Amino acid sequence: MNKDSQMRAAINQKLIEMGERERLKELLRTKLVECGWKDQMKAHCKDVIREKGLEHVTVEDLVTEVTPKGRALVPDSVKKELLQRIRAFLAQHATL
Amino acid sequence: MKMEEVSMSSLDNSKLEALAQDILSDLVEDACLGLCFEVHRAVKQGYFFLDDTDQESMRDFEIVDQPGLDVFGQVYNQWKNKECVCPNCSRSIAASRFAPHLEKCLGMGRNSSRIANRRIVTGNNNTNNKSESDQEDNDDVNDNDWSYGAEKKAKKRKSEKVTIPPFNVQHVYYLVVFVHSNKSM
Repeated sequence: MNKDSQMRAAINQKLIEMGERERLKELLRTKLVECGWKDQMKAHCKDVIREKGLEHVTVEDLVTEVTPKGRALVPDSVKKELLQRIRAFLAQHATL
Repeated sequence: MKMEEVSMSSLDNSKLEALAQDILSDLVEDACLGLCFEVHRAVKQGYFFLDDTDQESMRDFEIVDQPGLDVFGQVYNQWKNKECVCPNCSRSIAASRFAPHLEKCLGMGRNSSRIANRRIVTGNNNTNNKSESDQEDNDDVNDNDWSYGAEKKAKKRKSEKVTIPPFNVQHVYYLVVFVHSNKSM
């Protein structure tokens, strides 16, 4: 178990060092904007904010309310593309 | 480094797949967090609800897509709306005639200052100076010796005159008054 988490940390380290994580983030961001995810999420945020009141909203509130929905709303095609890129990276760097 | 590589290569496919999924969910969470920061900042700065409008006011600004109308729903007419208001005499003049009119009206051209003065006189003092100005008018028509295009000008005058009705009841009245006053003198 310890070995496993160590390995995960190493992979994450590598992702950041190679700049691949930034690239993936950027790709995900553009894809999510393209497919309307961002607009959906903003609409959801509006509901949450109206419910809580404009003055009392905190970042924590938003994160806890919005993140589950955000995860569910990511389209399969975007997930697939991202996974493809991640797998390719793992294949390149995990089996050296 | 060496140890990590060894441990990585010992991974089987299912573990790699789980790792990939984890990385993906990490990324998605990052995106959510970024959005939350963005929205929170917008709320606190007060510009989050700026683009909120109700359906009714949106309907007023819809693009009109009908034959014969432009995008604002107005009738497109090539000739109708092209009129300018003269800053000098504040009449509205067709755009194609505006430049020549302005030249005459402001008194910049050769013959124009006299024409402009005449217009002002006929416009303002319609009552008193009518007969005098009419005389001047005739004078102008005959006074061609110093201009180049004498015939052209004369023609133009004629056409201008045609557009104005030559006499009306008021004119006759003034004429009668004028003649009468001359007689009495």
